[in-house]
Amino acid sequence: MLHSAPSVALREDELERIAERLGREPSVVELTAFDAQWSEHCSYKSSRHHLARLSTSGASVVLGPGEDAGILHLGVHDGERYGVVIAHESHNHPSQVVPFEGAATGVGGIVRDVLCMGAQVIAIADPLRFGRVDEADSHARYVAQAAVDGIGAYGNAIGVPNLAGDVYFDEGFDENCLVNVVALGIVKESDVIHSHVPKDAEGWEIVLVGKATDASGFGGASFSSLTLDAQDADANKGAVQVPDPFLKSVLMRASYRVFALLHGLKLTAAFKDLGAGGIMGCSAEMTAGGGYGAQIDLDRVNVALEGMPPEVIAVGESQERLMWALPPAIVPEVLRIYNEEFTLPEVAYNARATVIGRVTSDKRYVLHYRGAVVMDVESDFLTGSIRDELPYTEVIHHAGPTDELAAVDVEALLPRVLAHRDVCSREPLYRRYDAVVRGRTVLPRGRADAGVLAPVPGARLGVALAVAGNPRYGRVDPRYAAEHAVLEAVRRVVAVGARPIGLTDCLNFGNPRKPDQYGEFVRAVDGLARAAEAFELPFVSGNVSLYNESTRAGVPASPIVACVGALDDIATVITPGLKHAGSALLWIGSRELAVGGSVLAELLGVDGALPSLSYGAERAAIGILRDAAARGILRSCRTISDGGMLTALVRLAFDALAARRSIGAEIDFGNPFCESGGFVCEVSDDAGIDLTGVLRIGVTTQKPELVVNGTHFSLAQLYEIWSKPLCEVYP
Amino acid sequence: MSGRIAVLVFPGTNSEDETVRVLRDCGGDAELVHWSVPEPLAGYDAYVLSGGFAHEDRIRAGAVAAHERMMDYVIEGAGRGKLVFGICNGAQILLEAGLVPGTGPLRKPTAAFTHNAPAPHFVCRHVYVKLAIAPARCAVTASLPSDALVPAWAAHAEGRLAAPPAHLREIAAGDHLAFVYAHADGTVDDAAVPNGSALRCAGLVNRAGNVLALMPHAERDAWNFNHLERSDGGDVLAPSGGSTIFRSFVEAVS
Repeated sequence: MLHSAPSVALREDELERIAERLGREPSVVELTAFDAQWSEHCSYKSSRHHLARLSTSGASVVLGPGEDAGILHLGVHDGERYGVVIAHESHNHPSQVVPFEGAATGVGGIVRDVLCMGAQVIAIADPLRFGRVDEADSHARYVAQAAVDGIGAYGNAIGVPNLAGDVYFDEGFDENCLVNVVALGIVKESDVIHSHVPKDAEGWEIVLVGKATDASGFGGASFSSLTLDAQDADANKGAVQVPDPFLKSVLMRASYRVFALLHGLKLTAAFKDLGAGGIMGCSAEMTAGGGYGAQIDLDRVNVALEGMPPEVIAVGESQERLMWALPPAIVPEVLRIYNEEFTLPEVAYNARATVIGRVTSDKRYVLHYRGAVVMDVESDFLTGSIRDELPYTEVIHHAGPTDELAAVDVEALLPRVLAHRDVCSREPLYRRYDAVVRGRTVLPRGRADAGVLAPVPGARLGVALAVAGNPRYGRVDPRYAAEHAVLEAVRRVVAVGARPIGLTDCLNFGNPRKPDQYGEFVRAVDGLARAAEAFELPFVSGNVSLYNESTRAGVPASPIVACVGALDDIATVITPGLKHAGSALLWIGSRELAVGGSVLAELLGVDGALPSLSYGAERAAIGILRDAAARGILRSCRTISDGGMLTALVRLAFDALAARRSIGAEIDFGNPFCESGGFVCEVSDDAGIDLTGVLRIGVTTQKPELVVNGTHFSLAQLYEIWSKPLCEVYP
Repeated sequence: MSGRIAVLVFPGTNSEDETVRVLRDCGGDAELVHWSVPEPLAGYDAYVLSGGFAHEDRIRAGAVAAHERMMDYVIEGAGRGKLVFGICNGAQILLEAGLVPGTGPLRKPTAAFTHNAPAPHFVCRHVYVKLAIAPARCAVTASLPSDALVPAWAAHAEGRLAAPPAHLREIAAGDHLAFVYAHADGTVDDAAVPNGSALRCAGLVNRAGNVLALMPHAERDAWNFNHLERSDGGDVLAPSGGSTIFRSFVEAVS
């Protein structure tokens, strides 16, 4: 007999509340269930009321937050409306403890969230925050390597391209890395499958699909909601799930077949990922969300080993499982597709689709095991009643000295900026990811500020995806970091010619029970709300990851944002790299010389104020850019972020080199490393552009060199400097 | 009357949809055949094995799939002269099945596409492959021009041709080296090889010329929208670039 850990993370007052409501002491199974369902990870108990400030509606919203993923309207093809499904999560603690498996299961989980909306999964993205990787045998470097390998191993195997992502290295993540994952799907809006049962679902059968339930991932939800302690690392490993991308690949394809079956018969169903809280969490939310209860027979669950206690079967988080609620008449055919046509039992030990219970009308959540009732509670009490208003302190934004650096030694600094860990080439990392499987890739990862796909075969529609979130800002001011993350993610999508249509967020913060760390979270939500409102963009999905702290401190405040863009015609994509000699180079957007939070400030060891954010100027810059693109005069562009304007320009020249075009540039600007935002653009003719807020910084040239304020640089030499640093970490 | 093409789906195959699509866009009559019902394979005129991780690449990439029932039909058909084209994982399966280079017994491979070198990691990199045989030497390449240069994506962890020296000599002497890695301008050197492959090999053909194994994915650079920068201004949805080899295949099947 296996033993489950009797310890739970529920607090004393929460335990009392449960006993009072039940009118008795809870059973072990009930205790375990509440422990998972009332964890921060599942319940958002201390974050939900703050998140309510985020805008979640708008013309582009097909489905806002509340189900396993959000959906944005992409466009119309052949009379059909198509939606982009998007979900965004973290798998931080598992990735710190067991990085390969932790990161891989992060991808596996987010893919299921998108799949279960009835969508084809078309892309993933991975915003990563790792510790210092300078030391060859440090745990932080091992985490940085193994997490990337885990993401690659999983995404590559299931055949979903990695379209976007970013990575920062910072000592604040030495003991608590951040592994965020985003997944995209494509679905006809008429074919969306919801995460909860509809009306008239009484008597529907509940079908568990996928891997045999084992003891892995037991306690995962509450593990995510505790602070990591190095001494407990071994004990925590059991809470991490085991990935099986091979099984997932088959599960996805079998599920696509089931989608086609249901749409053909015009049948409604509910489909949901098993994540935190396992069978219990999934079936309780799926049925309670439609106003129903459930009766589940744990003896009918396909298990990987005998003798597991009922609480482990009910709450364990074995990967690669999904749950259907289906009208009984269609169940035999669905079982046949999974078990016979796609031979699940032959793909992984005891994997299958199997009926484990039914939807009931009495709003009670009941678990049976070996002839006895081991859990019997009100569904709504289990899934929806917990709330925790914690105290927080206002974050005082440290505004550095407002001195500006009007001119710097570009000759000495440019090589150092390009070799900086936050600026140098990410290719050694992302070339381990399949960027092109499915054959739909228009701009692969790393080629431009955003990745672009043509998601619908035969259609000209395009979808762009970018992520952003700068921990150097997070250290200074969480609200600024949040606003900047929205701005930069939006800019990146605009820079490939797409129209931003929606956002997701993952809020990675420290311990909410420490008022100063919780205050950072609250302040970041302010920033997200403000920026999204300024751009009239909705948040359709998101995730909160708290308790990211080590024994020393919380991680740098890390609001990470993804932006989805739409293209009516992929022919209008702004392709990477400088195109022609003799073009005008423009800096569109704010040109403040404040250096706070910049790579430059770090290299020079100086402090400074953060560049101010002006939404008016941002909207104007985006307007100018889109207008130039529409008139066909925009040849290339990049956003200005880490490493400043000159880094953006150098990247445009590198992009041209990669396309075997030898084009250089000659510019003049005193301090070209400021990170105040905006775009560097190459235009054929700036005659028609409203030059308010636009600076002509120089021209493109025929020689493959860069001339800055009269100093000459060889592009080939700069490329050497920029492309090498991460090769040691990712050979 | 064009011949019917089966695109095989093993458990773990992940590139089947785009492979069917490019074949159809090149005029082919292609459809998927799944592992659980392999019997219809006997009725097809040609077989395409697409990319992925069949049977999780357990033991070696392609090793388990080579022993599947579906491969009984492919081996039987290849023996009777049917065209067989394997891409990436499909290429690995064809080597493990002994169909290419075909210099040894069936299912006892004399060569393998194995772990990349020097770093044994998955690599996703845009490449070009250059035809290293006379086009007519292989039925699949018969419609390509001499020295044809095909754009594609290397996306594999096990793509390095490895074999004992005697077998490598056999591959060279028997004119089995169908494609080598090249630069965009057609030059061939080690820098163009993404995986340390022996003979700079990207593709192998069997003795009879009806079975071709190609490691990089030409189907992922096969429409104008995959390479807008190199597009000749044609419609973004039109096949181009890597589609040439699929067009040649379809013409050979017809």
